[in-house]
Order: sequence, then C-alpha cells, then structure tokens
Amino acid sequence: MPYEYLEHQADIGLEATGATVEEALRDGVTGLLNLLVDVETVEPREEVTVQASAEDAGALFVSLLNAVLATIDLRGMFFREFRITRAEQVNGRWIAEGVLAGEPIDLSRHAVEIEVKAATYGGFLAEQTDRGWRFRCILDI
Amino acid sequence: MSVKAQVRKIHDYLYEIPPQGRMRVPARLFVDERALRELTEQSSQEWNALEQLKNVATLPGIQKAAMAMADIHPGYGFPIGGVAAFDPKEGVISVAGVGFDINCGVRCLRTTLFRKDLEGKEERLADTMYQVIPAGLGSTGELKLSTKEIDQVLREGAHYVVGLGYGRADDLTYIEETGRLPDADPSVVSTTAKQRQLAQVGTLGSGNHYVEVQVVDQVYDAEAAEAYGLELGQIVIMLHTGSRALGHQIGTDYLPFLDKATKKYGIEVPDRELVCAPIESPEGRQYYRAVMAGANCAFANRQVLAHLVREAFWKALQVPDTAIETLYEVAHNTVKFEVHEVDEERRRLLVHRKGSTRAFGPGRPELPERYRAVGQPVLVGGTMGTASYILRGTELGMRETFGTALHGAGRAKSRRAAKKAYPADEIVRRLREQGVIVRAHGKASISEEAPGAYKDVDHVVDVMCNAGIVARVARLRPIICLKG
Repeated sequence: MPYEYLEHQADIGLEATGATVEEALRDGVTGLLNLLVDVETVEPREEVTVQASAEDAGALFVSLLNAVLATIDLRGMFFREFRITRAEQVNGRWIAEGVLAGEPIDLSRHAVEIEVKAATYGGFLAEQTDRGWRFRCILDI
Repeated sequence: MSVKAQVRKIHDYLYEIPPQGRMRVPARLFVDERALRELTEQSSQEWNALEQLKNVATLPGIQKAAMAMADIHPGYGFPIGGVAAFDPKEGVISVAGVGFDINCGVRCLRTTLFRKDLEGKEERLADTMYQVIPAGLGSTGELKLSTKEIDQVLREGAHYVVGLGYGRADDLTYIEETGRLPDADPSVVSTTAKQRQLAQVGTLGSGNHYVEVQVVDQVYDAEAAEAYGLELGQIVIMLHTGSRALGHQIGTDYLPFLDKATKKYGIEVPDRELVCAPIESPEGRQYYRAVMAGANCAFANRQVLAHLVREAFWKALQVPDTAIETLYEVAHNTVKFEVHEVDEERRRLLVHRKGSTRAFGPGRPELPERYRAVGQPVLVGGTMGTASYILRGTELGMRETFGTALHGAGRAKSRRAAKKAYPADEIVRRLREQGVIVRAHGKASISEEAPGAYKDVDHVVDVMCNAGIVARVARLRPIICLKG
C-alpha cells in the first residue's frame, strides 16, 4: 500500500512509501485528500499548482501536506488527484512542486469527511531504504 | 525498568514518575489506579501519553513538574490534558504546548429558559441552528473580511467583532482575558494565514467541535451556582471551537521556524514536534506575538458564533438576545504569562496548557468580580450523549497545577476504531431514544465522536474533584447537538 493511516488515539498517523521521494510525496498527498472528502464526488475540472520547501526530505513531506491544506482554503476547492512534477534538493534545500486537480467546493455534492487542522512533526519519520523512501507524521484532527 | 515500576503513588488520585534520563522535573498525573493501569498498558504503543509527558519534563526551564489531568491521552509532542510552566529566563516556548488550534476553547451561554420552554420545539431549534451556524469542512461564515480587517481581529479579538455588532459588550466581561490578549502582532502572521481566514470567522469547524443545547440536571454547590446564575432545569448552550485556519497556519508556519531555532540554540528535544525557542530569544518572542494574534482570532470566532446562537434562538423561538448571556468562556490550547506561587515565592511563569483548562481559584484578580469569591467557572465538555460539567477552580488547584484542570472526557478509542464500531445512523437513532437530537454536516464526525469513543466523563470529573483540583458546581445534560 503506497499510503497507510496509522492508529492514534485522538488524531491520525499518515505513512507514505515510494521507490523515490516523488512517489512517496505523491502518495502522502493522495492519502491526505482521501481523508478529507470522498474524492469520487469531486470532479478534476481545474488544476492548481502547489509548492513546498524545507530543510530536509521529511520536513518537505510535512510542508507539502500543509501546503495542500492551505490551498483548499485559499482556493475554496476540493481536490480529487495530485500529480507530482518535481522533488529535488537545490543548494541544500528540498523543494517539491505538484498539480492538484479538483473543483470549487459544493457542499450539496461533495461528501465531506473530516477536517485536518495540520500535518505535524509528531510521529515524524523519514528514511531512505534499499526499496526507496518512507515518510510519516501525525495529522492533527 | 518498565514504566509501571517507575510510577510512585502520592495519593489515590495523584501519581508521579520521578526524574530519570534527561527529565529535569518529575511527571505528575492526576489519575486513579484504573486510568494509570490503562496508561501503562498503552506505554508499549509507539505514540503514548506517558512517553509524551516524560518528554515534556526534559524541556529547559520547566518548573515543578510536567503535569497531566485525568483526561490525558496521546497528542503530538505534548500529551492532551497536559500543563507545563516555564521560567521566563531559562525556559522555552513550544508549538506543541499550544497545538495548531490556538486558543481552542468553550463558551457557555446561560438562558432565561427552562426545559419546559423547549418542549415540542427541539426539532425546529435544531434545524434553525443547522441553517444559521456554519459548520464542517469547506463551510464559510457570513462575515467576509478584508486582510486589513483581519489585522483588527488579530489585535482586538472579540472586542473588534462586538464593535461590528456581533454580540454585546457585557459578553466581554465573562471571557478569559476579556476576549483580547495584549502583545498580539499581526505583522508576524503570514499573509497565507490571514487569507485562509477571510471567510472563516464565525465558523465552527469539524472534529470534536460542537454547539450543544443543554439542561442543568444537577446542582452540587448552591453558592457557586447562584454566582454563576445557574438553576436546576435551566437551559444553557455550550460552544466549542478555536482559531480555525488562521491558527492552523500559524502553527504550520512556526513549526519549521522553531525547528531552526531549536538547532540554533542547541536545545535537545526527544521528539521533533517539541521544537521550541528560548522565551526571551527573538524567535521565542516572535512566536509568542503570533500566538497571541491567533488567540485573539479564536476569541473573535467564538463571539461571532455566540451571536449566531442568539440569532438561531430568535428565529426558531423568538427568544430575544437579552435572554441569552455569556456565563463564561475559557480556552484549553494556550500559552500565557501568569503569576504563580512556587516554593513560597510569587513568580511570573509562561504556562502552556495543551488540552487543559485554566481553573483559577477564588480571589484571583483575573476573574470577573461576580465570580471572584467562588472561583473561576471551569467548563468541561462531554460527548454528544453524555453529561458536561461546570466546575469551579480551587486554592489547592492554584498550588498544585498552576490553576489548571481537565478540559473534557478525553478520547479512549482511535477515530478509525470508532468509525468501525459506531455507524453514524445508529448513533443518531440511539441518541434520539435518549432524548438528544443530533445534526451534523459530515457523517464521519458522528461516528468518530460517538460517546463510546471517549472516556467516561463522570469518572474523569470525579477523579479531578477527588484530587481537590476543582469542585463540582453543576452537571448538564445534552438536548441538541450540532456538529461539523
């Protein structure tokens, strides 16, 4: 499973794995989107670019998830899909970019699940193994 | 050594883990034997509350003990139900000690209505509340602000929205800090944070946030109840929400900022979420000023929601707004400078409360005159189907916990486990049989917030009262519950 929700008594843990940083980040964002709303009720009619940067790859994971949460409020949109276009280290800083596809919020059609307040450094894990990357953090609900 | 072997009993409702490893002070828990057993059993889990409490005890400048109230459960960084006070010179300020929902809290409104006044009108009132009060993910408020106006909200808190006609000036007297914290600085709050909030002032949110119409079904302390204006059978309203997206974004922005500061000042933290900065460092001061701004946003948000509750009562039942007064409002995700007695010396400390409520005892100058003789009202939210409580702060609480008490029942089951165990439709039906009407915007918030997902609130309150940290004033039973 590319992303997994982990048991936490009050909040939710999110873990994403992938052969590359890009894949793990993509799957983490997909996991987040699926937590917020039934993505089947959201049409991918408009695309929005999202960016994040951080000091290390694990912090980039948290930063990208938070950038997606901010984009939902700033654009007033829900998103169905996420495509990653860039994840790399430039001058010692990690940068990620991707494209979210969705539509303006319509509460008569979109089946909302739960609000995520933020991605935190709680339960933080970032590791590179023979099989690729693994990121993890606790989402504040 | 197992965690169980580390724990020392002080009395039936207080246990302590003496300092070990890098702990600078003990970890203290206001729990009973049963709760302690559950906590030690859970200590093998990766994210557990005891480990988090011990981690807090390692932070520089922490005073007396890292403490947990009876509703303790795992959070991120700090446990929920935690309180930690720091010396301003040697201590730190931490994002995890406040959380992302800065100044999340509870407002209690008392009414001149009694249970019989609502008979047969509950459905109408529930439907009107559902229409009038924006709640749930993706909802927006009727108050649309410009970035300039948001700056006013951040500076003036509840005072600003009262000026716009939301609620009345007498509400402010009964809000912690009168609904406005000094030292708030909008210039250290990002544009993203402000823009996320433009349409979210006056929205409830989701998760454990709610508006509940309740009836007073027990009065334990006649003197305090009279001071609080409470009687048996009276209708009160509790609303629980925080600083919404603006607060979340302040936390998000300052997490990497304080991560950097932690490294810069060479502070060793056992969990990355505990990132912090010395209180008197430029970074620490800046985060403090941002948190104060976030806190003012939460005060304003609850003030607008209190106005909307009044509007719903008027629309549904023609109850005038003068029949609904603020009893008290107090928050449970805060960091503030307060004066406390430590080792018989009065000292100014920075107190972090994460999922714990300020519970000042009698005589404190911060309390409104009307309540000063009996102590501060402490608002404890239950769950959709169980009781809530109004307690009062005590002198013992001032000495033992920096004037802090529990904030709710405390979660017992994870959200996923609750979702599996409690289908939303069944919960709504069962609550209806118990006389509680539920209206929710998302089914997930019903299942995940089902009464069974929480600890027994009556028991948790018993523990804190038996420990003498708070005293019972009244118990409230829910009639209508509005969720996000």
